[in-house]
Amino acid sequence: MAQTTPPSHSDYRADKIKVLEGLEAVRKRPGMYIGDTAERGLHHLVYEVVDNSIDESLAGHCDQIEVIIHIDNSVTVVDNGRGIPVDIHPTEKKSAVEVVLTKLHAGGKFDKSSYKVSGGLHGVGLSVVNALSENLELEIKRDGKVYQQQYKRGAPQTGLKEVGKSKERGTRITFSPDSKIFETLEFSFDLLSQRLRELAFLNRGVRITIDDERHQKKHEFFYKGGITSFVEHLNRAKTPIHSKVIYLQGEREGTDTEIALQWNSSYSENIFSFANNINTIEGGTHLIGFKSALTRTINNYASEKGLLKKDDENLQGEDVREGLTAVISVKVQEPQFEGQTKTRLGNSNIKGIVETLINDRLASHLAEHPADAKKIVMKGVEAARVREATRKAKDLARRKGGLDSGFLPGKLADCQERDPSLSEIYLVEGDSAGGSAKQGRDRRNQAILPLKGKILNVEKARFDKMLSSQEIRLIITALGSGIKEDYDQGKLRYHTIIIMTDADVDGSHIRTLLLTFFYRQMFDLVEKGHLFIAQPPLYKVKRGKQERYLKDENSLEDYLIELGTENISVLSSSSRNRLAGPPLQGFIKKVLRWEKLMGIVTRKKKARVIIEALLLEEDFSEETLKHPKMLKKIQTQIASYINLLAPDQAPLSSVIEEDPEHNCYKLVCSTRTNGTGIQTIIDRNFLVTPEYREVKKLYSDLMGLGYPPYRVENGERQTRLRSLKELLEFIMEGGKKGQYIQRYKGLGEMNPTQLWETTMDPERRVLLQVRVEDAVEADGIFSTLMGDEVEPRRKFIEEYALTVKNLDI
Amino acid sequence: MTRVVRCPSCKVEVHFEGNPCRPFCSERCRLIDLGAWADERYRIPGAKLEDETEGEDDDPGEGSV
Repeated sequence: MAQTTPPSHSDYRADKIKVLEGLEAVRKRPGMYIGDTAERGLHHLVYEVVDNSIDESLAGHCDQIEVIIHIDNSVTVVDNGRGIPVDIHPTEKKSAVEVVLTKLHAGGKFDKSSYKVSGGLHGVGLSVVNALSENLELEIKRDGKVYQQQYKRGAPQTGLKEVGKSKERGTRITFSPDSKIFETLEFSFDLLSQRLRELAFLNRGVRITIDDERHQKKHEFFYKGGITSFVEHLNRAKTPIHSKVIYLQGEREGTDTEIALQWNSSYSENIFSFANNINTIEGGTHLIGFKSALTRTINNYASEKGLLKKDDENLQGEDVREGLTAVISVKVQEPQFEGQTKTRLGNSNIKGIVETLINDRLASHLAEHPADAKKIVMKGVEAARVREATRKAKDLARRKGGLDSGFLPGKLADCQERDPSLSEIYLVEGDSAGGSAKQGRDRRNQAILPLKGKILNVEKARFDKMLSSQEIRLIITALGSGIKEDYDQGKLRYHTIIIMTDADVDGSHIRTLLLTFFYRQMFDLVEKGHLFIAQPPLYKVKRGKQERYLKDENSLEDYLIELGTENISVLSSSSRNRLAGPPLQGFIKKVLRWEKLMGIVTRKKKARVIIEALLLEEDFSEETLKHPKMLKKIQTQIASYINLLAPDQAPLSSVIEEDPEHNCYKLVCSTRTNGTGIQTIIDRNFLVTPEYREVKKLYSDLMGLGYPPYRVENGERQTRLRSLKELLEFIMEGGKKGQYIQRYKGLGEMNPTQLWETTMDPERRVLLQVRVEDAVEADGIFSTLMGDEVEPRRKFIEEYALTVKNLDI
Repeated sequence: MTRVVRCPSCKVEVHFEGNPCRPFCSERCRLIDLGAWADERYRIPGAKLEDETEGEDDDPGEGSV
């Protein structure tokens, strides 16, 4: 299609030389005009041509642009604008279109009267595309006629020829980038699509299509909403926190400013700024103006409406912009582009123009949409709090105190061992216990770090427990491994980390705090099984010179039963069964359990004597409640039991009442104990409680020995006991005889030797290994404790001691 | 082992598996928590001063046989 014959017109030649001198400069240093000769520069050629069409649409003459990538990587751009003028240029003496294509800095965009504003790459225009194209073919439909002209590397091969007629108008340019210039000739459909979509957003109402004939791919971009649609598009995979995109528009000093913005629930900032359709990647005065006015406007609104709390500082720009998606587009008459890639807007007056727009329009938008405004402000407030928390967190993690093990905290009593797998560290609550531990330890491989769970007196009403930041830093430094992102298992200085706290409520608070901290911030350490809980004994029992430590209530009971049943046998009056030794111990343990359950039952407003009488009736069940006759019999039995065994509580008055909810009856008994009346209701609800069910089952087990009274034989001596309760008391008293029982309330009550013997000596101690599940549970407890209601929190911590796996080491 | 917990900071469900921030959902949430420790905002409320005395856990059984 390109002609090879050189132009022959002699008058034309001189002009051409002058022009070509200009274009030759472009071919010599293409980078100066299009950035580079790689992919970016190649695609710039298309943008240049398209920008020309966009200028037509900005002037209101074009609403359709087509881009076609041909199979040979040549590109055609077609628009339905006015068509480039074809008349003879008064000074250049050639068609205006030829001037545009052959002369640098030529074209309508340099004359404010033809285009008020114009995009394009710094106004270099079509001539640059022409200079860098092997072939360029031009077709213009204008004033009912069709014109054509062809170029080769910038040089016209013919004059502008009129070739036909048409009712349509517009410009069609096809060009093949010069293989002598470009490192690559392959156009990217995606890259072009992205820019064309951007242009369609920025120029509301222009329909832009791209057709890739190489791969039969096609896109059409058309957005009635302009940059509002752009913001919606950018937020399409996000969750906006207010439904409508905020759109602000204004015109001042010949500058048209459009801003669209919407916040979403994410934390990233996504702001695009454009000046005359050029993506100002390096920002510039419009972006600066936008950011400063946005921060000010949101802060003003927040303080006006009292949305900032006393402790909250003013929101900073980054807070306000968290989760913000915004597009700023200015159309400036004489844009100045600066910076490395000429993508920073330099016009200083634009800052004030954009600021004024935001100050006025955004402020009134917020005032008109208070619900949205509140969400926007609160998002900023949260961001500010997070920023502050992050700063403190980083500060904590950073000031590790030089961390290299050369610099260890003075409070730490380190061990001599250097192999972490053989080293242990005790985190000990309280200074006095810490002192005992330091003296009692095996300093070869046991290190001690005393912690003082800070106590805070809150309004003189209660003491709160917490770990001071100082202590957290101590722990991080002593362990040496750093936290989370800096966590380095290889630097962990002890592979056995033991939390040692008092066996009381405060101790459990400190333990919960420590466990929660490790779980959250040093998770690997928990997961790898490095964390343990020491088990200091709760009791010391001493008989003569013999001392024994017992870790909890249960162990103490077992021990007392063991001693109390020594040399004893028990007989029932109603049978010949005799119990002694371990079977007797088992029996007494059951009695103990039964007694505890009876305690629970009687705490719920039931007279013990009535329950005891009921238990004697083996057949009494829920079924009995359905038959008033059988209940009457029970009534009599209870009465006679009381008369016989508890005359002080007689007489029993009882009635049988209907229980319509369960379609049966209930027994309401009234007794007096020490002058206080008690009403015991025996109904279905009571019979199904777990404690009653267990009491009944245990009772029938216990009666396997026979009914009371019981006879206890100890050699020659015999004692008669009237009930299980008396039997239990007898045995426990016997166990305690001659014993000195000491209950340890704190670690500090033990001397160093005792602490070593009971809790720290690897041969004798019991450690509980903390598993991830335990830590998860501690975290749950902790979260409950951090909740709003005080009482449930307190109860919770007291009831839920940590459940941890037993592990003997 | 799949384990799902709630992120201590924002309470969304968090999977342990393949999650370097576990038990948090994100680094951001972890930092919020660490910041709270650093700021000493985690306090376990103690008992009220008047009922500071802990009752011994004995069984108040009623007058019995």
